[in-house]
Amino acid sequence: MGKEASINQIDLLFNPGSIALIGASHTEKKLSGAILKNLLRFRGKVYPVNPKYKKIMGLKAYSSLSELPEPVDLTIIIRPAHEILKILKEHERKAKCTIIVSSGFAEIGEYKLQDEIKSIARDTGIRILGPNCMGVYNPYHKLDTFFLSRERLKRLKKGNMAVVSQSGAILSCLFDALGTANIGISKAVNYGNAVDIDESDLYDYFIRDEYSDIVISYIESLSNGRKFVEKAKELSEKKAFLLLKSGKGSSGQAAAYSHTGRLAGRYEVFHSILRQFGIKEAMGFDDLVDTAKAISYQKTSMGNRVLIITNGGGSGVLASDECIRQGLVVAKLPKNKIEKLGKIFPKFYTISNPFDLTAQVKDEDYIASLNELKDDFDGFLIIALTGVLGVTERLGKMMKNLKAGIGKPIVFHIAHGGVSRKLTAILEKAGIPVYPSPERAVKVLKALLT
Amino acid sequence: MQKVEDLIAKGKTAVLEHEAKEVLREMGFSVPKGVYIEKDMAEQIPAIVDISYPLVAKVSSSKIISKSEVNGVKLGLKNGHELKEAVSGLLNIQDAEGILIEEMAAPGIEVIVGGIIDDQFGPVVMFGLGGISVELFRDVAFALAPMGKEDALWLVREVKGSKLLKGYRGRPPVDIAILLEMIVKVSEMISTGLIQEIDLNPVALYPEGAIVLDAKISLHYG
Repeated sequence: MGKEASINQIDLLFNPGSIALIGASHTEKKLSGAILKNLLRFRGKVYPVNPKYKKIMGLKAYSSLSELPEPVDLTIIIRPAHEILKILKEHERKAKCTIIVSSGFAEIGEYKLQDEIKSIARDTGIRILGPNCMGVYNPYHKLDTFFLSRERLKRLKKGNMAVVSQSGAILSCLFDALGTANIGISKAVNYGNAVDIDESDLYDYFIRDEYSDIVISYIESLSNGRKFVEKAKELSEKKAFLLLKSGKGSSGQAAAYSHTGRLAGRYEVFHSILRQFGIKEAMGFDDLVDTAKAISYQKTSMGNRVLIITNGGGSGVLASDECIRQGLVVAKLPKNKIEKLGKIFPKFYTISNPFDLTAQVKDEDYIASLNELKDDFDGFLIIALTGVLGVTERLGKMMKNLKAGIGKPIVFHIAHGGVSRKLTAILEKAGIPVYPSPERAVKVLKALLT
Repeated sequence: MQKVEDLIAKGKTAVLEHEAKEVLREMGFSVPKGVYIEKDMAEQIPAIVDISYPLVAKVSSSKIISKSEVNGVKLGLKNGHELKEAVSGLLNIQDAEGILIEEMAAPGIEVIVGGIIDDQFGPVVMFGLGGISVELFRDVAFALAPMGKEDALWLVREVKGSKLLKGYRGRPPVDIAILLEMIVKVSEMISTGLIQEIDLNPVALYPEGAIVLDAKISLHYG
């Protein structure tokens, strides 16, 4: 099979014209029924397959794949593991691509069964996602193969971020977290045991996918390290890409004879190689979501000089400490600017970095100081604690107007509660990300400055 | 890599230190001048030794992973008497197969340059601040092999302690060019697929030049 044909097949996973659900059931209480209910929103053809029924959820049911009136682009299989091989063999010339939702393979030690699936994929040319996965979600195509109901897991709106997760559990948690962060997505995929389609195949697809400008990825294990490096590097060069790897505690190589072998832990080597090729890594779940929000709102840019403008001294100091940990420079203000700003502002403002506007702050003060200092720094952290009357929603609107003129990374820290929710909403709508702690805001600023 | 191929042809897996150093000498690395004496030839020491004092004597065995842990390294031997005493002590160590006697090298900044065929990524190289404490501080970094000098420089800078190499607190900077050459060479050696693991540890770095004080090689049978 040519490379192009194989990429087009992966496209059928996200944009099929027709789908067969093998193992469909009539009740949402079963996972296979929950999938069918989610598939009812799909605009293309949906064929439920279950020999026990004539009709399921209002659709004509079929007894097997070979009974269908036409070959389909995609099948979704949710049947016990021991039936999967037989079902896959029926796929030849009947389907181009399949998602095996069922579990009971390598993840519980059934390597042989999983290897047999692999050889079927190789022999027949059918592309397989899974097993042990939730499949795909594509809001632009109204495609949703998840076995979680929409009531329990709120789906994300349309956007430009692709989410690639080896784990279904983490993908569902990401849906909640990205939803809270007001992020829309282009596509989401959970690829599970990666018997055929693996992280590298998916990166390769997203390099080309015009709906996706940002890709985030959660990985537990790699199928092929060299292929991963090649594709992850290309993806990082073409789009904003961020990944999170779990399994950081594993020790060195099994039969290590040398110091090198004993020090070459799986994660240590992985971490070094990501840095070697400039592939961005998130250090945990919160970091993944925080940074994903920032890179979906703003472009990264060069530099490390940060200006902190605050209305709370302590918050400014915590932010400053985190800047030091992150290797960012909280540089001094230029002398002439200090003089100039001293004439504008009251004497009790601390005209320094952090720039402390104190509890007497007014919205305009943030704007005035930013305007004066925007050319002297590479990135800006603004702390606006809303306990004082001088900080209002107007600041959000003023920042929206100012943002384009600055053209450099700006992040906000606003503690939760009261007025802050409205102010946060206005800022985030304007593409300025807001975080509930100074440290989280600084970490994100670091990710935006390269 | 002729020497490596010869060792593989002999069916060796873990290579003795003097064999590893012959491999390195063939590849153009600088190693101390030395002589290897098998256990049953030890009586003839020091007559057969034509290298200059002070010397270091080290136990050699395919079964001993860490020489320092079995107290198998005797440094600063100033004359034939001290050498003879050291050798007889070393031969009493369990599993001793022979003794490697080498000229003492001048002290330098000690680093580790290593390579391994990683089970996820294939051939990778490692650089770190070396000596016996490398596993304690774990100040090391890895990179895909093979690599050029630019990547080797990146690798060196990834290590926190690499500031030491630039000349810390009045010490002169070390010969970075030769270090980069060594890293590139190790990356090429591990990429041949003939070697499973290689440690040059420690490598003593000087303002001019560098010398591999100890080395381990295990061969790869594909």
